Amino acid sequence: MFNVDITGELVAFFAFAAIIIGGSVLMISLEKVVHMVISMAAAFLGLAGMYVLLDAEFVAFVQVLIYAGAVSILMIFGIMMTKHGGGDGQPARPLYEALVAVGALCLFGLFFYAIRTTEFPDAAPSAAVAEDNTMAIGELLFSGYIVPFELLSVLLTVAFIGAIALAKKGAD
Amino acid sequence: MGAWLDEPLSWGNALVLFLWAAVFLLIVLGFVTYAIYYERKVIGWMQLRVGPNRVGPLGLLQTVADIFKLLIKEDTIPRKADRLLFILAPALAFIPSFAVLAVIPYSEKLYFADLNVGLLYYAALSGITTLAIVLGGWASNNKYALLGGMRSAAQMISYEVPLVISIVGVILLSGSLNLKDIVTAQDGGWFWHWNLFPQIIGFVVFFIAAVSELNRTPFDLPEAESELIAGYHVEYSGFRFAFFMLAEYVYVYAIAALTTVLFLGGWHAPAPFLDFVPGIIWFLLKFAFVVFSLFWIRATFPRVRIDQLMSLGWKVLLPVAIANVFLTALWLELFVK
Repeated sequence: MFNVDITGELVAFFAFAAIIIGGSVLMISLEKVVHMVISMAAAFLGLAGMYVLLDAEFVAFVQVLIYAGAVSILMIFGIMMTKHGGGDGQPARPLYEALVAVGALCLFGLFFYAIRTTEFPDAAPSAAVAEDNTMAIGELLFSGYIVPFELLSVLLTVAFIGAIALAKKGAD
Repeated sequence: MGAWLDEPLSWGNALVLFLWAAVFLLIVLGFVTYAIYYERKVIGWMQLRVGPNRVGPLGLLQTVADIFKLLIKEDTIPRKADRLLFILAPALAFIPSFAVLAVIPYSEKLYFADLNVGLLYYAALSGITTLAIVLGGWASNNKYALLGGMRSAAQMISYEVPLVISIVGVILLSGSLNLKDIVTAQDGGWFWHWNLFPQIIGFVVFFIAAVSELNRTPFDLPEAESELIAGYHVEYSGFRFAFFMLAEYVYVYAIAALTTVLFLGGWHAPAPFLDFVPGIIWFLLKFAFVVFSLFWIRATFPRVRIDQLMSLGWKVLLPVAIANVFLTALWLELFVK
C-alpha cells in the first residue's frame, strides 16, 4: 500500500495538506464572512508551508506577507462593517447537491487516475538553486525575464491608477 | 547553538531544541516583566515622579504582582461577541510575535535559526499580528473595539510599507536577506562601518515606522484612551488581555533586536581596541539603548491625530524611503563597483 518511506517531510506534507484542504472546505461551508476569510488565511499559511517543504523559502514568505497578511487584512477591513449575524441559510436542494457530489467525485477520480498513471521525469533539482533561491530569482528576473517583469509593473501601476480614479468618482 | 540546527532530527535533538525554545520563552517573559517596570520607572523619572516603589525592594515585584492580578481576574466573554474568534485572537497575536524572534542573531555563535530569508520572514509574520488585532476588535462586537481595530489595520498597513522599503537600502549594502550575513557585512572594526551612518535616512524612516508598528506613543491611536477607551482590547480581561499586552512588549523586544542587527552592527564592537569585550555584551548594550529610546520617545511626545498619522506615512515616509533606495543604488553603482 505504501510505496513511500514515512519521513518527517511526508508527515509535514500531510499536515500542511490537511490545513489547506480543511481551510478551503471551511471557507466554502462557513456562514459568516469573517470566518471564511480566516479559514482562507489558514489555507494560505498551509500553502506557504508547502513552499518551505519544496525549498522555496522566498516564495513561501512572500506568500505569507502578501496573501495571509495583506490580502486577508484588506478583505476583513472591507467586510468588518457588515452585520454580525450569519446569512440566511439557503433552502436545501437535495437533487442538485447529489449531482454536484457525483461530479466532484468523478473529477477526483479523474485527477487521481491521471496522476497515478503519469510517468514523472526524474527531476534533478540543481542544488545551487535550492541553496540561495532568493538570489537566483532576482538574477532571473533582471536578466532573462526583464521584459515580462517590467510589463507586469506597468500593469500594476495602471490598475493602481484605475482604482484611484474609480474611488475618486465615488467620492464626488 | 548553530551546530544543533544542522544535525538530523531525532527525538533527542527535538527535545533539546524544544527545551531551548522553552528557555528562550522564559527569557523573553523575564524581559517583558522588567521592561514594563523599567518603562514605568523611566517615564516616572522623566516626569519628576518616583514610579512604582511599593511592591518588593525598589518596586521590583510590581509587574509580577500586576501579572498575577491579571491571571486571577475573572475571564469575561461578552454574550454578543463572536466566541470562537474572540478566543482565537489573543493567541494569534502572540504566536507570530514570538516566532519572529527565531531569526535574530545575538552573536556569531548564538542564534536560533540561520534562515536565508530572515528579514522577509520577520516582515511576513509580523503582519499576522495585525490580522489578530483586527479580528479581536471585530469579534468583541463593540464600537470602540471595532474602531480601534480599523485604525490599527489602517495604521499597520500604512507603516509596514515604508518599514520594509527603508530596509531595502541595508539589503542592497549587504547583498543578503540573512540577518547573520547583514551583521557580518557591517564588520569593519569602527562604528562608522555600521549601517547606521551610510543608511542614516533609512534608519530614521525605519525607526519612525517601527514606533508606529509597535502602536506606541506618539502613534498609539489604535488604543487612544481618551477617544477610544482602550481600543481593540476594550472587551478583553484577565489572561486574554495579558496576551495582547505580552505580544506588544515582545514586539518591543523584536524591533529593538532588529534595529540592533540591521543598523547598529549587531555584536560588533564600536572600535577595534574594544574587541576584548564579548559580542553578546555589545549586542545587549545596543539593544538596551534602543529599548530605552522607545521609552524616551513615549515619555516626551504627544499623540498625533489620525489624519496627520496617515499623511505622514504615505506622503513623507514612503517617498523618503523610496528616495533612499535610489540613492543607495546610485552610490553602489557609481562608487563601489
